[in-house]
Amino acid sequence: MIQDFVILCAAGMLVSVYLMVGQKALVVAIRLYGVQSLLLGAVAIAMGFAERRPHLFVSAALTIVLKAAVIPWFLLRVIDRVGIRREIEPYVNVPASLLLCLGLTVVGYRVSLGMAGASQGVPHQVVGVALSMVLMGLFLMVTRRKALTQILALLTIENAVFLVAVGATAGMPLIVELGISFDVILAVLVLGVLVNRIVDRFESMDTSRLSNLRG
Amino acid sequence: MNILLATLAAPLATAGIGVIPGPRRPKEAAFVGGLAATFVLALATAGRFLAGETPLALGEALRVDGLSALVLVLTAFVGLLSGLYSVGYLERNERSGFVSARRRTELLALVPAYVAAMLLVAVSNNLAVLWIAVEATTLASVFLVAFHNRDTSLEAAWKFLVLGSVGLAFALLGTVLLFASGQGVLGEEMSALDWTRLLTHASGLHPFTVKLAVVFLLVGYATKAGLAPMHTWKPDAYREAPSPAGVLMAVGMLNCSLYAVLRVHIVSRAVLGPEFSGRLLLGLGLASVLVATPFILIQWNLKRLLAYSSVEHVGIMAIGFGLGGEAAVLGALLHMTYHTFAKPVAFFSAGTLAQLHRSSDFDAIGGGTLSRTPVASGLLLLATLMVTGSPPFGLFWSEMTILKAGFFGPHLAVVAVFLAALVLLFCGFFYQVGKLTLGPNTRPLDRPVLPERLDLAMGTTLVAAVVAAVSAFYLPHPLVALVRAAVRVVEGA
Repeated sequence: MIQDFVILCAAGMLVSVYLMVGQKALVVAIRLYGVQSLLLGAVAIAMGFAERRPHLFVSAALTIVLKAAVIPWFLLRVIDRVGIRREIEPYVNVPASLLLCLGLTVVGYRVSLGMAGASQGVPHQVVGVALSMVLMGLFLMVTRRKALTQILALLTIENAVFLVAVGATAGMPLIVELGISFDVILAVLVLGVLVNRIVDRFESMDTSRLSNLRG
Repeated sequence: MNILLATLAAPLATAGIGVIPGPRRPKEAAFVGGLAATFVLALATAGRFLAGETPLALGEALRVDGLSALVLVLTAFVGLLSGLYSVGYLERNERSGFVSARRRTELLALVPAYVAAMLLVAVSNNLAVLWIAVEATTLASVFLVAFHNRDTSLEAAWKFLVLGSVGLAFALLGTVLLFASGQGVLGEEMSALDWTRLLTHASGLHPFTVKLAVVFLLVGYATKAGLAPMHTWKPDAYREAPSPAGVLMAVGMLNCSLYAVLRVHIVSRAVLGPEFSGRLLLGLGLASVLVATPFILIQWNLKRLLAYSSVEHVGIMAIGFGLGGEAAVLGALLHMTYHTFAKPVAFFSAGTLAQLHRSSDFDAIGGGTLSRTPVASGLLLLATLMVTGSPPFGLFWSEMTILKAGFFGPHLAVVAVFLAALVLLFCGFFYQVGKLTLGPNTRPLDRPVLPERLDLAMGTTLVAAVVAAVSAFYLPHPLVALVRAAVRVVEGA
């Protein structure tokens, strides 16, 4: 029962990444990231009950507060300040992107088959979802031009890693998780500061303008 | 107090002092003093190790073995050099009105913070601590890259941070997977991620999961080390960062991320045998050497030239570690040591040239610098001899050691390609620096050059040059002992 719930949430996270690939409004992409983090929190709570590990509740709370609320709020504020609301035409158009992502999902799932039987509790499907999310995050990062989409892609990869941590290992040690979360928050803040500086300077957050340095 | 913690606390305290507003001279004195104290403490820690102890802290999360001690000492040494040069750099820039008081505070705080994070990398015995420390180095250095706040600095900082973060996300995934591979064997405490525990329980880990973990960890930390094809942030970041920060990235961070790569390599060898990660390292190393070659030949900027040279050298070290065997690993670790001594000379003299000519682009500097700025150009030529691995300097011997080990090993074709690339790199680097320093004077007369003078930055360069030249003929006995101990750690004997 709980296992099914975990797999359902993981599938939901995968769907959120597909939706992110499929649309161009930055506000929607940020909200999708929020939903994705919420689902990650749900996975952590479910695993906390299933494996009787109270520290997973702490990490779930951390995930929900930071990644489903604080980071999206911060990113929405960045967009408001910058006044840029839509991704322009990506390097690869949307239908082709979705098809390519389908291929990436198959690859991720295929690789995860080798882990069958390695993890306790939840089957390898969760790892399959996580690996697909990593690959799709990378794909988003190289095909989209707005700095903000690249941050979201990075955060999606981060969520995928936490999904492995919660789903396949029943949680990293709490102190480790705290340290990692702290670093992630700092990184997002620094990225936000850089986006602000880039927008001030270039009057755009189109990273294809960042191409003076070559050779 | 634990000497290991003291070594880490010293630069952190120095960074704290850097943030506090105060009169300039005492702050600079505290800055240099703090970094000097850090170096002394690092030496003392390594001394404890050589005396037969194993300094530990925070349970076993921090631990100093031969490899840690070597990287610790080398990093602290570069930290001190960079600190001395920073003060001279600021002084010079203030004379020409480039640097504001706020920028000075930034540099005085970020350099020691960066050093502290790197030292934490060097003594970590735990995958999680290692990851957190490497992330900390990235965050400490990104504002050093963006230091000058030009269009190009922002571009470089953005690339540096995004690429670095992707690498770190990969490394984190690898860390989690390695943790997952030991489920039921290692327990759930933080100590489950200690290298020492992973090694003692190597046979109980799930092999496929370890394989997946090793790939992600190696690619992740290789991104930070700047191994090709994940090296693309390097030339941009090195060009934009001020020279004292550049040298920390090119030597300190390079050593520390290689340290991370090596720790992964050691675990991988214990679980999967030497072939798996060895071949990966060999491939990455060869790719780096091959990628660096054309970019050095067509280079248009002095600092980017140094960046590609750094891609080359990290490639050489990766090849040495990838070949494996005592001789090749000894060669690679000697290469790391000699590179640590030689590279600062190149960075500092290039930085001086760039400051005096107000640009680091070859076109803007103009050829024939030897007639305009003889000391800095002469030092750059000397550094070129060292960095390209010309005899009798150290890097020549370490490269020979790796090549010799390679020719007696099974990867003959790889070594042959490597040798050919080395020759081309040697010629390319000499061609570029030769054209710049010895070529015809092409700088327009209406663009005068700032006069050269023997200030603190120049003095630091001279000291670094003397150390590098002496190291070719004489390595202190304790340092040799550290290198030997590090070889034993990597070879698992």
